[in-house]
Amino acid sequence: MAERRTYASASDDGRAAAPKAERRSIDSALAGSPMTGGRDRLDYKPTAVMPDVKVVKIGGQSVLDRGRAALFPILDEIVAARKLGIQVVLLAGGGTRARHIYSIASELEVPTGVVATLGKYIPMQNARMLQMLLAKHGGLYMLPDDFEKLPLYLQMGCIPIMSGMPPFGYWEKREEGSRIPPHRTDAGVFLSAEFLGSPRAIYIKDEDGLYTDDPKKNPSATHIPRISAKELVERGLPDVVVERVVVEYLPRAQWCKELQIVNGLKPGQVLAALQGEDVGTIIHA
Amino acid sequence: MERRGRKVAPFFFFGGTMAKHIMSSLVGGDGRTHINSRLMRESLQNRDVLSNTDSERDLQIFPDVSLVSIGGQSIFDRGKDAILPLVDELVAIKRTSQHKIVIGVGGGTRVRHTISIAVDLGLPVGGMAQLVGAMEELNAILLNTLLAPHGSMPMQRDHFWDLPLYFDAGITPIAISVPPYHFWEPPPEEGHLPMHGSDFGLFQLAEVLGMKQVIYVKDEDGLYDKDPKKHADAKRFGKVTLAELMAQLPEENILDRELFHAWTAAKNLKRIVIVNGLERGQLTRALNGEDVGTVIVKEDARG
Repeated sequence: MAERRTYASASDDGRAAAPKAERRSIDSALAGSPMTGGRDRLDYKPTAVMPDVKVVKIGGQSVLDRGRAALFPILDEIVAARKLGIQVVLLAGGGTRARHIYSIASELEVPTGVVATLGKYIPMQNARMLQMLLAKHGGLYMLPDDFEKLPLYLQMGCIPIMSGMPPFGYWEKREEGSRIPPHRTDAGVFLSAEFLGSPRAIYIKDEDGLYTDDPKKNPSATHIPRISAKELVERGLPDVVVERVVVEYLPRAQWCKELQIVNGLKPGQVLAALQGEDVGTIIHA
Repeated sequence: MERRGRKVAPFFFFGGTMAKHIMSSLVGGDGRTHINSRLMRESLQNRDVLSNTDSERDLQIFPDVSLVSIGGQSIFDRGKDAILPLVDELVAIKRTSQHKIVIGVGGGTRVRHTISIAVDLGLPVGGMAQLVGAMEELNAILLNTLLAPHGSMPMQRDHFWDLPLYFDAGITPIAISVPPYHFWEPPPEEGHLPMHGSDFGLFQLAEVLGMKQVIYVKDEDGLYDKDPKKHADAKRFGKVTLAELMAQLPEENILDRELFHAWTAAKNLKRIVIVNGLERGQLTRALNGEDVGTVIVKEDARG
């Protein structure tokens, strides 16, 4: 890799100076590149940042809105995992208050970027609630700006907790046919795991994952333990268990190639998932 | 295949003294406490639910503001001989017109160097996205040192609600151009580089605020079908609709590709102009609404 700074030209007295208004570039593999297409021919050997960290989402509507009855047993299992030395980062979902503000904001026809900004506040509240409950076990609230302090928090044995919402805010793109931000807390969990180089993102929800049919209506419906993102898309469901962008990104992920959906209402599932067991449904790249 | 069905009881209204004044809006009965809203209990992945949130228009917050983006590689990396005449032009625009403008800048060759090193080190794409903003900021500080005596100020990340104050006071804000995707930059469709650069960031800022237009000040007379620096026979686009352009989007493009994809799905922005900042007067003419350089219009936008 060339690191030497070279200028397009130098004047006679040897001072670095350019002729009238020429681009002065630093020599690099991308010098002069418009960097506007993805078709780079760069040699890339990825480096994992913190591959042992388990990034775990606590669902908003599915868990937090159920209150104590659902949440406390889940937190007990997370604390148990942390005591076993498993590094856990918790990301909070939004839930019914997010739906409420999305609903009013949609009536007012505010742009998606504003809706995404409004959507930041509820997962933040939920993360703070989790912090208050877990404080005695090292629960620690953090902002996206604290992300680089994760090694400290985890080496101290803490359980870092943050909002699951990625920080796109006003810069969230609009999607055709919807005003709701496409990147919400499921996306934040996946993207956090992908940045950290963690191979599996864990989603604690109130269901076992995917079934071949609605088991309440069809007793012969069977649980799907493993399915690829491609198969999931091909089924063309009107509804999916995680945000669509996550299913779209999964096949191109560098590190996080699996999403695990576990039922937090069933005792033992969360701890099993944190210990690496294949419980619930796994959606893979 | 469906998600396992949920036990959903009929609406049940919470009682109790604490909930008295809001009792009509809290809903339970399925183990969860909901607030009554159109999206209550709904999956936000469901296409029908999502389409109910949509409409033909987006609110336009600052429809009389133009965003001016000054290229990093194309202008700043050329140094004083390119920067100072453009600053003079901006000062003249401030003195002689009523245009409300927000300025953004690109990062140029230092961004490319940063990413080259980061790729060699194997840093994740989110790491690269986190790093590059600092390089753009250097150009923003430089520009502000030159414009400050005439009234300019760097604007904090999303302090948009200060904009009316800036305009009333005659201060030109210099915005942060790299979008805050940071560590959470999604994996790119192909290759290893972040998809959301400063061109996209400034487009999105103008789109979300419902601005009038974005003018990209570069070192070419507009957008060409291929890189005019490499191909003598490159053809320039004059005035073109976004739909026409998308049918033949140049592979070598002076703007981020993601910008065009995002614009296609967007509702507000109607006009993007690409002008040559090395030619005095092109920026002024574009601000005055003249068709200079390449003018891309989105016919179905409201702007």
